[in-house]
Formats: sequence, structure tokens, C-alpha cells
Amino acid sequence: MMLARVADSLYWLGRYIERAEHLSRLSTVMLNATLDQTDAGAQAVWIALAAVGEPGDGAGVGSFEAAQALVLDRSDPNSVVSSLARARENARQVRDQITTETWERLNLLYLKVTDPDATKDFAAGSDIFLHDVIADLHLFKGAADTTMSHGESWRFMMLGIYMERAQLVSRLLEVCFAESPTHGRLGDHVALVSVLRMACALEPYLRVYTAEIEPRHILEFLVFDEDFPRSIRFATAQIEQHLSAMVRSVSTNERAGPERLAGRLKARLQFADVDELEAVGAGPLLTTVVNECARIHEAIYETFVAYPLETRLPA
Amino acid sequence: MAAKTQTLADTPTLPMTEAAYLPGVAYDEMFTPEGDVRQHYDPLHGRMSTLGAEELAARQRTLERSFLLQGITFTVYGAENTTERIIPTDLFPRIIPAAEWARIETGLTQRLRALNLFLADIYGDQQILMDGVVPRELVLGAPSFRREMQHLYVPHKAYANVCGSDLIRCQDGQFAVLEDNLRVPSGVSYMLANRDAAKRTFPGTYRAAGVRPVERYPDLLLSTLKSMAADWRADPQVVVLTPGVYNSAYYEHAYLARLMGVPLVEGRDLVVHENMVYMRTTTGLRRIDVIYRRVDDDFIDPLTFRRDSSLGAAGLFNAYRAGNVVICNAPGTGVADDKAVYAYVPDIIRYYLGEDPILPNIETFLCREPRQLSHVLANLDKLVVKAVGASGGYGMLVGPHASQKERDDFALAIKADPENYIAQPTIQLSTAPCLVDGRIEPRHVDLRPFILSGEKTIVTPGALTRVALKRGSLVVNSSQGGGSKDTWVLADDAPSNGAGHGSARP
Repeated sequence: MMLARVADSLYWLGRYIERAEHLSRLSTVMLNATLDQTDAGAQAVWIALAAVGEPGDGAGVGSFEAAQALVLDRSDPNSVVSSLARARENARQVRDQITTETWERLNLLYLKVTDPDATKDFAAGSDIFLHDVIADLHLFKGAADTTMSHGESWRFMMLGIYMERAQLVSRLLEVCFAESPTHGRLGDHVALVSVLRMACALEPYLRVYTAEIEPRHILEFLVFDEDFPRSIRFATAQIEQHLSAMVRSVSTNERAGPERLAGRLKARLQFADVDELEAVGAGPLLTTVVNECARIHEAIYETFVAYPLETRLPA
Repeated sequence: MAAKTQTLADTPTLPMTEAAYLPGVAYDEMFTPEGDVRQHYDPLHGRMSTLGAEELAARQRTLERSFLLQGITFTVYGAENTTERIIPTDLFPRIIPAAEWARIETGLTQRLRALNLFLADIYGDQQILMDGVVPRELVLGAPSFRREMQHLYVPHKAYANVCGSDLIRCQDGQFAVLEDNLRVPSGVSYMLANRDAAKRTFPGTYRAAGVRPVERYPDLLLSTLKSMAADWRADPQVVVLTPGVYNSAYYEHAYLARLMGVPLVEGRDLVVHENMVYMRTTTGLRRIDVIYRRVDDDFIDPLTFRRDSSLGAAGLFNAYRAGNVVICNAPGTGVADDKAVYAYVPDIIRYYLGEDPILPNIETFLCREPRQLSHVLANLDKLVVKAVGASGGYGMLVGPHASQKERDDFALAIKADPENYIAQPTIQLSTAPCLVDGRIEPRHVDLRPFILSGEKTIVTPGALTRVALKRGSLVVNSSQGGGSKDTWVLADDAPSNGAGHGSARP
């Protein structure tokens, strides 16, 4: 049993945490790729910006300025610092639900990115700065995993994390592969490696496919891999699992409950394969994932948070 | 006041600072007027003397860092945006001997018993008003008097379940009550956090001193709250009601909910249906039995009190009247900590208990009385004047420290609305050693112990010591830049290692 408002906050806490990590990683890859003056570097900038919904061509803005804005611009509600501020605001709302260990990791990180010296630190060593942000977010997740009871609070937070992840990875893949699943704009080896890095997938990918970096394999890995935590299939399986566990405690007559929607999406990914994707293009499937996630999000609200009171008053 | 002239030879010194510790005319918690260390401070004084200035500064930084990290902050309301700050926290604990504490404990218990009887009476038959002990218009006309509470049954007659009275130690070393806080007193989370910090800062001294623990506060609070519902529900659902994350005491609300293991709810989580109170959970509506509210009376229920408030729940007060939920502290308790009613508390104690007050009041002049008003106006440069309705150090004139213009302006305000003001002599609060800018200096302190009252009355053996961090300042409120420190109540006053040389300086 937990307050509906609290569930809402925990869910968003998870989403903002995941968003902050994803953006930090895109920024790191973008900055690294542009160290060499190649076309692939420019391509990486374009991919990163398009994946966060800023589809400017990156021309005119240096990659450093672009990355700095992505990370530290407080007036941009989608920047890393804004995401962390919102994550912490949500954590403060539910301070009684998360452990001290978990809270302290997030608060520490918040204090770091909002420090008056943050801009100076970023300029002095953006790579170290971003590395630390990502490492701190890993510590946060580790603290949550090992200190919080894996009950409803934790599940709502994990649900937020995987919902956000499924959508972010889908968006990234849409940018790269929606138009042409096999090569398209991404012929270059360096650009393809950048995509894998943006999904934090390079090393796990290499272990499965070796150093032959093929667009088809990247797509297969990031959409269908069962074991990789950043594949869409893995994320949707987690969403389905957390929702089924929570729904067991809710007596609801709603037929299209969130767990049914999530189960359907999971099944769809389970039974599709990369040949089909190549035949029709990755676009339709990725769009389906994004749309279905939006429907699941609504269903979560209708079931747990914003349900009509009449349905739940005692008889 | 008998100001003792301090010569350099009298000045107690603390070896690690080189500078002398210069107590003023006020009672000093650590040193006697002769410059000797009071016996109960011996172990701490010894420890302080072995730590260098750098070590102390490092420990102070660690302490502040830990508070910031934990988010032990309060919100400062500014013009532009609100920011979070930690309450300045001082490294050195303040120490209270067992015998002194025993007197404080019985005194506070007596006082709260009388005040709860007073509340039961004025919301009942009003016998004390009929007997003319307290002026009728003072009580019935007080803005904090809640007509809606009339003839409402409160279990155990416990109106104020949590009370945080402010005590000060006067020049003669005696404790006196400065004010009672019976509405939504805060600071208990700082008491607990300060204790955690002090244990880490001075572990050896802490262990050797024999300090009474305060850690049980959350479970005592929970059982107090549950005892308010014991009549009618076996395992009552308790919640903490907070105005929300923007309230300056939000940290405390979340802290208490977490340590009691009960939900922290906001008004928007509550639903009242057929005079029952529910909270909106992920699995539907769940009945609530006891609300520990940290929302002021006015904001509890827009149907009964302020219509423009969204902090409470519509219909909550009716559910309370119907006996379906308990609100702690009860609405309307504020009338007993009204600054004008305060003057009558000694009479209230005698009236209900037939006992003399154990803890004295500070002499108080009521501006509503013409003779006392003219005395106040003639002595503004010696008095502290307070607005009856204000708190947190606002609406206050510290006469001796004010300019002539400030006093003139205040005189006009008093004359315009004499009922709204009281005045008290300027009391030199006692001083205690504090680390300020790398030096150990005396700063004025007060004492806020916490008293729980339900089926039983319990005084937590500890308190929040608030510190006026500005040199010479007597204002300790956190909203006015005050800080705090841990308070050690000793379990036993007998010296732990040999007797006889207790007051010798190391």
C-alpha cells in the first residue's frame, strides 16, 4: 500500500534519473567523436542532438557548446541538470519512502551539478565531469537496489527507469535506422561505434558479434537481445514484470490494464525478428514501441494514480 | 543586574585557541563566575583542550557536510527564489546535569498537565473563566480560540500531544519558561540529527559522560499518537500531514514519518467520505485513524476554517467532530500558548493542580492593561516587546538593542493596538561555548525540550539547544539566523572517575 501521489513521484524519479544518464552519455560520446576532425564526428553530433529532439544540424554550434547546454543549461527543462533537479524534487517528495543511502547518492550528485563552480569544472574536464555524473547515477541505482525493499516503492521507480529507457533507445534507433535499416546515413565505422556507445552497448555487443560492426547487428542487438539491459526487448520485459507484480494487489475491472498493454508489447518484440525488420524497415516497429509506451504510461495513471474516486469508495 | 567586572586574570582560557574565552554578565554554561570549569563540563573541556584549531575546523566542516548531504535543511523564503540552507550547527554539546534535568522534567510535566486541563475546561464548561482567574475576553477573543472545538471530546484530555516549550537559564542559573509551543512545534529532527553528529564528533567524551539517549523519540511519538485512538481501533492507521515540500519544516515532517514508518500525506492525498477520512493509495482508498498534523489550524479544513486553503481536506473537521479520526495536536491548542495567556500560566497551574509552579515564568507586562501599558511605554529601552500573534522572532522589539526611531515606531504600533502586545524584561540568556570563525566564544542559548502527552506524559531526556550566533544577540530563532547544538542530559551526576578535583582546570 502506498499513496498514489508517492507512486507518481517515484515513477518520475526513475524517469528523470534515466534521462539524466542517457543525456550524459550522449554528451560524452558526442564530445569524444568530435576530437577527430572527421565526418563521422559531425554525424555523431547530429545523431545525439536528433535523439534528444533537437534536430538542428549542429552547424554553427560547436559540439562543446552543444554538450555544455545539454548538461548544464538550467533554463532547458530537458538538460541533465534540470533532470537531476526534478529527480531530486521528486525524491524529496517521497523522502520517507527511499532509504537514506539512496537519497544521499542523489543529493550529492544534485549538489555537484548545481554547484556554482560546475560550469568551470565542466570546461576544465568535461570528460571527467560526465564520467562522474554517470558513475554517481550507477551508485544511485546500486544503492536503491541493495538498500530499498523490492516492494511497491522500488517497483514504481524501476518502472519509470525502464519506461524512459525503452523510449530513449527507440528514439535513438529511429534517428539512425528508421529510414534505412541496413546502411542509410551510417556507413561509417566510427559513426556506428558512436551509436553503440550512446546506448552503452559497445562492449556487450563485441562479445556477441565481435568487432564486425554492422548496422543490421546493431539493430538486432539493441531491439531484440534478451539479456542486454538497454535493449528494447529487455526494457519492455521489465516493464511487464513490474506491472504484473503491482497489479496483483489492485482489484480493478479495467480490461486494458497497463500490464496487458505491456504484455502485448513484450510479445510483439518476442516474436519479431531482424529479417522482418529489414523487409519493412525498422520505422514501424520503433514507432509502435514509442506509441505503446505512451499508452502504458496513460494506463499506469488510470490504474494507480488518477483513478476516479467513485470506483474505489467503500461499499 | 549585578554586573561583575571582568578582569583579564578572571578570564578562563581554552588552550587550543590562545584567545581567552570571555563570558559576559550572563550565566555561562561551562565556566563559573570565578573562571572554573563546572564539574559536569570537565570531560568535554578536557577534550576541547586537546584538539587544535585546525582539527576543530575540520570536524566542523565534516559536520556541516553531513547535514547538507542528508538534506537536513530548512527553506529560506526570499524575494526571488527560495533556497535550502542547513541550520548552522555547532560542534560542542551543551551539557545539563541530571539533578537540573529532573527539575525541568517535573516542571514541564506539571505545566503541560495544567495547560491540557485548561484547554479541556475552556472548550468545555469554562469554569476558570467563570471563576475570573483568566479574563474571559482574553481567551474567547484570542485569534487562536476555536469555537468549533467547543464540547468536543478529546481522549485523555490530551489537546497538546506534542509540546515544545522554550526555556531559558537566567543570570541566577535558574531555568524559566519563555514560551510554550502547543501548536506544531518543530525542531525535534534537529535534536536527533545533532545527537547523531555529536556521537561521531566526540565519541569518547560522549561514552564517558553517560548521556541519556534520545533515539526513542519516534517510537514514543507513535505510541502517543496511537494512544489517542486506542478507544476505538485496535491497530490505528497513523499518518503525518504536511503542507508539502515547500514548507520550511518539510525535512522534519518527512524525517518523522520515515522514522515512525507511517505515510507522509498532503491535503491532496486525503478524501473525506461520509465523515471518514481516507488517503488515496495505489490500491484504492485507505481509512485513516490518527493524523499528526503539521499544518496550522487555519489550513486544516477549508469548509470549517480558511476557504482559500488547499493544504488540508474538505470535511476533515466534521470527521473529527464525528469521532472518526483524531487530529493531533487538537485544533485550538494555540489559545494556551498565546503570549498574553502565558502571563496567567502560573495561576492556571495553581487553579487546576493546587500546586505552585516548579518552573517560573518570565515577568510579563500585558499592554492591554492600562497601567502596565504606561510602564511598558516608559521603559521601552529596557524591555523586549512581542506581538501576541507573531512567532519565529518576527514582530519583536529588543529594546536595549534598538534605535530610538525603532522604539518610537514600535510605541506607535503598541498604542494603536495594545491588546496585541506584551513586554518582558531583557533577560540575559545563558551562554555556552561555540565555535565561531575558528575561535571558541560564548554565545547565548535557549533550550527547547519536547514533551509528549497522550495516555501518558513523557519528557524526552534531551532538547534542542538553539544558539544566537551573532555576538551579543539574544535572538535564537532559525528564521533569524540562529543555530543549534546537541544537548546532553546526564544520567548520573556522580563523577565517574574519582571525586574532589572535578573543577580543576587541566
